Parts: sequence; structure tokens; C-alpha cells
Amino acid sequence: MAPVLEVEGLKKKYGSLEALKGVSFKVEEGEIFGLIGPNGAGKTTTLRIISTLLTPTDGRVIFLGFDLKKNPEKFREKISYLPEEAGAYRNMKGIDYLEFMAKFYAADDSEAKKYVERAVAISGLGERLKDKAGTYSKGMTRKLLLARALMTKPALAILDEPTSGLDVINSLEVREMIKGFTKEGVSVLLSSHNMLEVEFLSDRVALIDRGLILDSGTPQALKEKYQASNLEIVFRRAVQ
Amino acid sequence: MKNFSHLLIKEIKELINKQLVISLVFILVIFNFIGNVTRTEIKKAMAKQKIAVLDQDQSEISKNIIGALNMANFLIEEKAGEKEKVVDEIRNSNLDLLVVIPQGFGQLASSFQPAEVETYSFLRGVSISGRTKSEVVKALLNSTNEYLSNQYLKNKIPDADPKLLKAPIKNREFVVVRDRQAEGSSAAVIGALTAQNFILPVILMMIIMYSAQMVITAIAMEKQNKTLETLLTVPVSRGAIVMAKMLAAAVVGLLSAAIYMFGFRNAFNFTNMDDISRALGGVAPILKQLGLTVNTQGYILFGISLFLTILCALALATILGVLAEDYRTAQSLSVPLVFIVMVPYFISLFADINTMSLPAKILVLAIPFSHPFFAMQNIMFGHMNMLWLGIAYNFLFVAVMLWWTTRIFATDRVLTMKLKWRKKKVVL
Repeated sequence: MAPVLEVEGLKKKYGSLEALKGVSFKVEEGEIFGLIGPNGAGKTTTLRIISTLLTPTDGRVIFLGFDLKKNPEKFREKISYLPEEAGAYRNMKGIDYLEFMAKFYAADDSEAKKYVERAVAISGLGERLKDKAGTYSKGMTRKLLLARALMTKPALAILDEPTSGLDVINSLEVREMIKGFTKEGVSVLLSSHNMLEVEFLSDRVALIDRGLILDSGTPQALKEKYQASNLEIVFRRAVQ
Repeated sequence: MKNFSHLLIKEIKELINKQLVISLVFILVIFNFIGNVTRTEIKKAMAKQKIAVLDQDQSEISKNIIGALNMANFLIEEKAGEKEKVVDEIRNSNLDLLVVIPQGFGQLASSFQPAEVETYSFLRGVSISGRTKSEVVKALLNSTNEYLSNQYLKNKIPDADPKLLKAPIKNREFVVVRDRQAEGSSAAVIGALTAQNFILPVILMMIIMYSAQMVITAIAMEKQNKTLETLLTVPVSRGAIVMAKMLAAAVVGLLSAAIYMFGFRNAFNFTNMDDISRALGGVAPILKQLGLTVNTQGYILFGISLFLTILCALALATILGVLAEDYRTAQSLSVPLVFIVMVPYFISLFADINTMSLPAKILVLAIPFSHPFFAMQNIMFGHMNMLWLGIAYNFLFVAVMLWWTTRIFATDRVLTMKLKWRKKKVVL
């Protein structure tokens, strides 16, 4: 079966700064693929390029057979992106925000309604969805946004640091939400500098540092290869 | 189209928030307050007002003057006694005008010798009524002077018309506009045109400023609330995102400007529109004869000029909005735009663009907001080349700006363009 996403030799320059120096990896259908690396490794730039926010300087991104450079709109139809520091419209009620976003993806009102119902169930926010998003805590906002990203059952959900800034309880809940969703055929590409989180969530991971993929594989295979007990040690040894 | 209208509704809802409603209501309340205070003052000035008169002469002429003051909307409180004592008495009362007609006034006036009337204004502030009272008394004395001098001339030269004697040269004024000519005063024509169009620059300025500020704020708020990145990844064209923001800003900007103007007009309509219409009534035939009226075609051309200018402001403001990082930066970035709009506003009020030096003229006309400020004048005075040139310039400006704005939104720059004094930081 062809992979959902293929990234080949992806390069990105900001002026003289080379953020990506030729990143390549593949994401298979229904798998969670984790990009792990320290701050400034190039994770966010990679995700932003795939979600059509940034244009690559060089390289190729193929998603469901479509080339990013030629068909960015096809990417937007089937991809959901959750940025690291995303927010919701403060003056909109949570439920209205979900409805607003659902309408972009739905063919008609009844489909949009289904998306919203799914999001309500995913978020677990209950009655609080009737309140304005401006009144939500960081954890609630993150759950709302994650529900928004997953409600359309996208072919690929791109999640940038999905548990960033959340407390232990909220982080656990969000991780369970993500894990549960791949059972429905959604592929997930996520990034995190929390390597233990990625180890828990991901089927396969890629180690990224200074714009380059150092190694990739299943967490177990990588731990065996580098004779390490967890991904943090794997990463340290891969960098060395 | 479905996605565009969906976006447009969201943008309008986002802009018409509690803060905007409160600020507009506040503006209406403030204007209403100013209007009420000013109207009350004017009413006071127009109502029958009490003045004191000390008639030490008791002649027929002095009685006539007091009678005329009575007719001129004054309630007369007649005083008697020594002048100094009366002045002292009024100083401690609430009266603020005293007219003293000295003894011998009637005799001097009827024998055509210099006669004096003294008026004492007791200033207790700078209200309108204080000023108008002494002006009315002065006008009454002038007409008494006119009457007495006419009488004198009639006595001395019975066959001559006193008016002709006093003003033997009569000035017939003609106003020429292009190939048309009409008898009338140029001052009256200019006055009528100014009165007719005085509100127009204010409206223009408000519309441009409000719309531009709305769009800058809309984009800056997307950045501040961290919603822009998500919005840019939904399946809707970047052009639709830009156009929805601009159209929403134009709609809410026009609405805000309309509410502002409603409040402004309500507050300052005491001058009032009836007076202007009456003044125009006399000059209207002259304006028509001179072709200084605007027909339907003229209004359409003015509308085009205004529409293009609003688009210029919105496109420019959209780019400024992209540069802003948050609401606060957006407010600072809209300040230069406000000042740029003020240049043509003040020039249209106090100067004539056609008589300015060429470099100054070029500089003013390079501002895309300038053209509708001068469009009405250009239409009325037949400077059609200037009008068309302005429309073409604004059209070109809008085209370039819209292309640029859409390019910015279609590329990385919508996220990476920042007005920062510090070194640029890139998130990897």
C-alpha cells in the first residue's frame, strides 16, 4: 500500500539560515509517526510546510498522490493541522467555533452537524462548549482545538507539540484522544520535544536535529539499535 | 462562494463586538450631550433677554430707541438715578448689559450733532448670549444712525435720495465659471458651495479611517489569538480570506462612520440645515446658471472615486495588519494612516489644490485618499481630466495593492513579515 505522506529531500532556508537540510520520511495509513528533536531542530518548519503554511526551498512532499507545490488545496481538504500555540476565537462560543470550522470541510449542513457532534464527543467539554472560548483554560482550549482537528476524520492529522503547556492530567487525556483516533484510520504526524510522550504514542519515530533526520524506525527497533532504555538516550547516542 | 460568505459572516461578527458597540454608543451619548448643551445655550441666546436701560434723556428719540430694543426681543428693566450707582447695582445683579442714554442725547441727535449712547457689558463668562446682546444693541444703534442721517440729508437736500448720496457707486458683481456667467457675489457662491459640502470631507475621513482601522485590527487579532495559522490551513482560498476580511471591514467601517455621522449631525444641526437651505435658496439659481451643480453622472463618478479610495485604504491596511503582531501594534500602525488621511482633509478645507505649487500638488495627489476629497470640486468646475486621472491612479494603486496583498497571503510572508526593531526570530 502506498504511504499517505512521502517527504523527500525537504529543504527550507530563512535568508542565510538553513532550517531544513534535506528531510525525508514516510507516513503510512493509520499510523502515528513522531518527529522528535530538541527546540530548533526543524520540527515545526517541517509540519508547517506539509500543512501548506510555508513553501519549501527545495524537495518534494506527496500526500495521497498529490504534489504539495501543484495542489496545496488538496492538502488542505484532507489535512488537519494543530499548531503548537493555537487559539480559538475568543468571542466565539466553543460550539460555534466547532461549527464554523466544520462548515469548511462539510459538503452540507447535515455533514457539518455530524462533524460537530463528533467534536463534542472528542473534546469532553460538555456544557462548557456553550461558553465563549475566551473563558477557557489552556487545557480546555487545547482539547477544543484537538477535537476540531480530529472531527473531520482527516487523512492526516498534523499535531505540533499536542500537549505543550498542559498539566499531567490534561496531557494524559489528550494522548488518549490521539491514540484512540488512529483506530478509525486517521494517520497522525506529530512532533514533540517530549521524547517519552512520542515513545508512548508513536508507531514509528524519526529523530531530527539541526534540519536533518538522524535515524528513524519503531521505538523498539531504535532502542535496540542504540542499546538504550528509552528514546531520550537513543536521541543522545544518535546525535553523538 | 459558500466558504466566502461563511468567512464574511464570521469576520463581521468578530468586528461587531462588545467593545465596538460600547464605543459607538458612547460616541452617540457624548454627541447628544454636546448637542443638548449647545442647543440650550443657543435657546437662551434666542429667548427674550433682560437688559437694563438708564434713560437720563427722556426724549422722543430715546423713547424710540427703547421701544426698538423692546421689539428686538429684549425685556427692558428701566433704571433711574445716577449712572455710577446703577452700574454698581447691576454689577451685583444677574443682568449683564446696561444701555445708558445720557441727558441731552435727543437734542444733539435731532440737531445732527454727535450724540453718544453708552453700553456696559458685564462679562461673567464667554457664553453666546453675552456676545449677541451687545451685537444686537450695536445693530439697533446703527439703524438709528442710518435713520437720523437719512433725515438730515432729506432736510438739507430735499430732491436727492439719501441712499444714493451715501453710496453713489454701485457694484454689480458677476461670477464667471468657464464659459458661463451669472450676476451675483462670488463670496455668496463660495459660501453656498462650502455650506453645501462642509460635511463631505468629515464623512470621507471617517469612512476611510474606520474601515482601515477595522481591517488592521481584524488581522492583528487573528495573530494575537493565534488563530491565523489554523485559518490558513482550512480548505478555502487565501484570496477569499483576504477579501472576506476587507469586505467585512468595509461594511463595519461604513456602519460605524454612519453612526458617527448621525451623532455628529444630531449634535451640530443647530446652525441649522434650514439656514443653509435658505442661504442656498438665494444662490441656487446662480449656481444652476454657472453649472455648479452635480448631476447623476457626477454622483456616480464621485461614488467610483470613493469606492476605489476605500479599497486603497483597505488594501494598505491589510498589509499593515500583516506587519502587526497584536492589537497594540495594530493600533500604532494605524496612526500613520490616520495622519495621511488628514493631509487631503485639511487641504480640502483650507486650501485650493489647483493653486498649489506643482511639487506640493504632486505630493498631495500621490496620496490615494486625496482624490475623493477633490472629486466634487473637480466635477463642478469641470476639471474632468483631474477626476479621471485620480480614478485611474486609484484603480492602479488598488490593483497593485490587492495583487501584493494576495501574494503576501499566498506565501510564507503572511507569517514571517513582522515590523520588529529587534533581530528577527524564526521558529524552527
